[in-house]
Amino acid sequence: MDKKRVTFLSIFLFLAINVISLSKVIEGYYGQEYSHVYIFMIVALISTGLATIAFFLWRKEEYKR
Amino acid sequence: MSEDKKNKNHPDNDQDMMKLVDNLNRKEDVNLNRRAFLKASFGTTVALGLATTPFGVMSAIGNDKEDAERIEIATADELAVGEAKNFNYPTEDEPAVLVRTPDDQYVAYNNKCTHLQCPVFYEHKDNVLLCPCHKGYFDVNSGHPIAGPPQRELPKILLEVKDGKVFAVGREYRHG
Repeated sequence: MDKKRVTFLSIFLFLAINVISLSKVIEGYYGQEYSHVYIFMIVALISTGLATIAFFLWRKEEYKR
Repeated sequence: MSEDKKNKNHPDNDQDMMKLVDNLNRKEDVNLNRRAFLKASFGTTVALGLATTPFGVMSAIGNDKEDAERIEIATADELAVGEAKNFNYPTEDEPAVLVRTPDDQYVAYNNKCTHLQCPVFYEHKDNVLLCPCHKGYFDVNSGHPIAGPPQRELPKILLEVKDGKVFAVGREYRHG
């Protein structure tokens, strides 16, 4: 699989991770399980960072002449 | 074939682009939509990721609050077996129910339903805690949901029976 396709698909993977993480964070917050809140918040932020890297790599490939 | 006809599918100015008679640039349209879709997906990913941070910050602030205050809520002979009493714990805004179960045990829970915050009542006949709004049932011994829409257990209030008095001494949100 080429680099562009990998980065394209990985963004959807990170999107799924963030959806799950946000639901876990909200559940942890209202359940006062603060350790869950911190863990899933860190997971979501790492996933967001990786998604940003993937997006810029994809953009570089996509608009390459 | 004239030169004009040959270049029919290759618009060379803005005016041609305005002629939306046929989908002449279908391939380009598909590419543009794919790009826009990915950009929107990326934007959503970032928004969801960043949306977790306020909860983290609020958790860090709220984590310091201690709600393990010791309060007398009833005398031991005030409730007969199978009876319940409402009280507020740990603050006046947080209603709770104390139940003396048929097994002669005292249990207490905050009685806001974990579905949509309706008040939960003790049903002596079925020995369950019932939320009448959407027919949510909770096990009186554990506080866990047994039927209906609630998915989460009721916050459990820790009790201490001493010198013929029942005291609330703390609270657990997730238990069992």
